[in-house]
Amino acid sequence: MKNLKLGNVEFKSRLILGTGKFSDTETMLRAIEASGTELVTVALRRFNREKPADDLCAPLAKLTNVKLMPNTSGAMNAKEAIRAAQIGRELSGSPFVKVEIHPNPHHLLPDPVETYFAAKELAADGFIVLPYIPADPVLAKKLEDAGCAAVMPLGATIGSGDGISTAAMIKLIIRDSTIPVIVDAGLRAPSEAACAMEMGCAAVLVNSAIAAAANPVEMAKAFALGVETGFAARAAGLMPKNTGAAIATSPLTSFLG
Amino acid sequence: MFITVNGESHEHSGNGSITALLGELGATPEHSAVTVNGELIYSKNWPACRLSTGDKIEVLTFVGGG
Repeated sequence: MKNLKLGNVEFKSRLILGTGKFSDTETMLRAIEASGTELVTVALRRFNREKPADDLCAPLAKLTNVKLMPNTSGAMNAKEAIRAAQIGRELSGSPFVKVEIHPNPHHLLPDPVETYFAAKELAADGFIVLPYIPADPVLAKKLEDAGCAAVMPLGATIGSGDGISTAAMIKLIIRDSTIPVIVDAGLRAPSEAACAMEMGCAAVLVNSAIAAAANPVEMAKAFALGVETGFAARAAGLMPKNTGAAIATSPLTSFLG
Repeated sequence: MFITVNGESHEHSGNGSITALLGELGATPEHSAVTVNGELIYSKNWPACRLSTGDKIEVLTFVGGG
């Protein structure tokens, strides 16, 4: 696979993993390794004296090939997201930030206005900004112009497993974007990751589909294969659709004299 | 002195430095980010920072997230 470039950083893997929802840290680490990912998201939370083991800094530091991308989950507006990003950068030393502002807990859909303002300011401050956004081609273009390194439209709501329900809009985003388009949220099956890559996505971000699978480590491998397959298929060039037509692959004449 | 740490009242008995507070809490300094009264204190500035009675401190770390 050709490398994925985000900002000035190149990645061999086009699968980005979230680290939430895993049953335990060991399973998460094994899934990360099995996936071949080089970029994982993490969330900021208050230090918990009762549960110091929740702290992922030490376990993730063991994975030397993996960069961290702190998210701004929990932020209700641009101001809070910018503050969270600054704290995340201080803690991780990583320039990557996933801007994530979803004030409504019922659907967790991203706030496009606050996301835009936060992303613009963070990009100007030198962050490599990857905003989680509604699948809106107009917003995606504005974020590209604001200096984002990629846009991450949702396939479906977070954790839903509804697949790429926004396919038509994501195709429009891809058609007009000069920055990578990464489907984030909604995926359930590796075939959907393959589908996203066949559409022309540069990468996919997966969390729940792997963490909540019966066997997260094997599912991580399966997603890696899905991404690789989809990317290869896109590069090979899919045949044009002939919807409603039937075009034979075998000769229909001169049969048995 | 009494300060507020992550929303809860906390009696600090150390020298008022951030590293002393983190030690009291059992938090690993290199895995902790600290804000004092809403302001992020970069770790390079921790030695110069002294906490005062009534300060509101947030100690943050990374957990799993998508």
